[in-house]
Amino acid sequence: MAASRPLVSVYNEKGQSTGNSVVLPAVFRAPIRTDIVNFVHDQMRRNKRQARAVSDKAGEQTSAESWGTGRAVARIPRVRGGGTHRSGQGAFGNMCRGGRMYAPLKVWRKWHRKINLKQRRYALVSAIAASGVPSLVLAKGHSIETVPEIPLVLSDKIQDLKKTKEAVGVLRKIGAWSDILKVYASKHTRAGKGKMRNRRTVMKRGPVIIYDKDNGVKKAFRNIPGVSLLSVERLNLLRLAPGGHVGRFVIWTESAFKKLDALYGTWSKKSQLKVDFNLPQPIMTNSDLGRLLKAFEIQSVLRAPIKRQARRKVKKNPLKNISLMSRLNPYAAVQKRRTLLQQLKGRRTGTTAESKIAARKERTHASLKTKRLSGVNLVKKTKKQQIGATTTTTTTATKTTVSTKSS
Amino acid sequence: MQHDDVIWSVLNGQFCSYKQQKSKTQIFCSNEYNLTGLCDRRSCPLANSQYATVREEKGILYLYMKVVERSHYPKKQWEKIKLHENYIRALKQINEHLIYWPRFIRHKCKQRLTKLTQYIIRTRRLIRERRHEEKAFVAANIDRAIENELLERLKKGTYGDTYTFPVNAISMDEEDEEVESDEDEEEKEKEQESEEEIEYVEDFDESDAEDMEDMGDDMSDEEELIKSIPSSKKRSLEIEYEPAVEIPVRGAERAGIIYCYATRDSVADDWHVDKLEFKGSSQSQRFLFYDRALRRTSSSTEKLE
Repeated sequence: MAASRPLVSVYNEKGQSTGNSVVLPAVFRAPIRTDIVNFVHDQMRRNKRQARAVSDKAGEQTSAESWGTGRAVARIPRVRGGGTHRSGQGAFGNMCRGGRMYAPLKVWRKWHRKINLKQRRYALVSAIAASGVPSLVLAKGHSIETVPEIPLVLSDKIQDLKKTKEAVGVLRKIGAWSDILKVYASKHTRAGKGKMRNRRTVMKRGPVIIYDKDNGVKKAFRNIPGVSLLSVERLNLLRLAPGGHVGRFVIWTESAFKKLDALYGTWSKKSQLKVDFNLPQPIMTNSDLGRLLKAFEIQSVLRAPIKRQARRKVKKNPLKNISLMSRLNPYAAVQKRRTLLQQLKGRRTGTTAESKIAARKERTHASLKTKRLSGVNLVKKTKKQQIGATTTTTTTATKTTVSTKSS
Repeated sequence: MQHDDVIWSVLNGQFCSYKQQKSKTQIFCSNEYNLTGLCDRRSCPLANSQYATVREEKGILYLYMKVVERSHYPKKQWEKIKLHENYIRALKQINEHLIYWPRFIRHKCKQRLTKLTQYIIRTRRLIRERRHEEKAFVAANIDRAIENELLERLKKGTYGDTYTFPVNAISMDEEDEEVESDEDEEEKEKEQESEEEIEYVEDFDESDAEDMEDMGDDMSDEEELIKSIPSSKKRSLEIEYEPAVEIPVRGAERAGIIYCYATRDSVADDWHVDKLEFKGSSQSQRFLFYDRALRRTSSSTEKLE
């Protein structure tokens, strides 16, 4: 809330600035919480609803009874009697023609909503604050390009207007007429059944005139399409944020504008007209994030940005990965080459173990081959057979020795 | 609070009437002061209290600038500076006025200036070319040239027997020709007319579309009569014939084309069907089954049957 409170000039009914100016009320510096506005608006909108329901008796005015099983028909209750189409038809179910609907609507549905006072006030305060930001009013869709100042404050003479013609004149002079023209242009027939329910035409919302004392303002302005009228003491969120979106074009009268400080308080002073209310505290006192991040106070405390982050390395096995091995042990390459060369040499000369085995194999193959060719009996004597020949002799020898011992 | 970030969070998150999301990838901004045309944190004229654009009005380029100090006075918000006609000088002007401004805005303003100057050059060229064209067109007198060309072709006889216009009544022919070229729709209407008029022909007993063979025998006499008249005499006899409308028909026995000839006395008058001829798809000859001159009228006693 360190934000400054500038002076807002007051304009007369001819659109010229009178000498007077008013200090901007603190409400206009309140935090703009569109989420709260949306929620509260949504809840408030339900409060104007009228109960509707389906007749209790609808679909129940039959004495239908189910035929049960065994009659080759579905088991829904069927209308009794005869002599008419209706007899034997299904009744009662929501799926039946002429039956009661599923969950018949009841009047005791909760139509209205209670909203916390604080929330309501918060939303209203946000909506008022948003009406003081020209960008938000433009974004809402109002054409305020010809308006001299936002927030627009007119002298109290407006409150004494009696004729609509004069009211139109005022709007023209202050540059608000283009918004009204937009309203005229937006008039069209409603889509849907509302047409036949006395809600035939739909149009845009124009400016809202907020006054302090009604000496005829209401009657003067009320016939102009799009214009809404509100008393400062009884501000309506549904009019300040129509559709749940903030930023309606507001035209204040001087005394209404001056009353805002008393109504909503400034942070240093509580509200005088509302019981125990002060403006909500914003979460950030300075919400210009871009500026903050560039400010020296913050930048000096930050560490340097990490432009290139080191990521986890996949471990590679040097025994399998030649390049990694040579990086770790440059001599390994030399060693490897040397052994390779030796192996190659050994293969030719027969000195390495492998080559010896290979040479032996060759020799046995060669000898077997010659034996086959020469016709020698090549039945293989297994080792077991060989052992068997020797063991038989040994057993007889032992037997004799045992007998002598016993006798 | 009037902070740009707050405003942007409201516009981006909640509602902005200038936001146009026509495609899934791009969001556009329909605000007339937008530099790039996109709905963007940097391009939003509402969410940037210090902003500038280049806009074109009636072929003149202006630099519009907006500053924080004037943000609460919508009427005086935009400072309008006329840019020089010379492109390079205009660039210098932009550099001068936006000297300590954010680079993005300066750059985009210059880009926009370039595009707009190109656009202005192009429109000027188009207007000039169009004017030249119009003048040339007027000078060429195309209509008359076409008329003369067509008449010459008639005289030479390139159209042969299809158009039998009396060589004398040239002006009438021209009218009719124009009418023909314009109204193809009327010919379609004629089609419907002629189909209705087939019913008339039942009086004749000679015009059943189904019994074509019989009819053929009956009508062949008349056909021959008409054909026997030497071509030169045909011309002098002359009633103005319009070119035939061909109507494809299909019946139980066979299919074919009905040729309809019609005339009218003037442009405002109705078409009168003069002749209806049928030619089966497999046949070579046309059979006349309705002739206006031969129809029975209650008052007259002229029966040419």
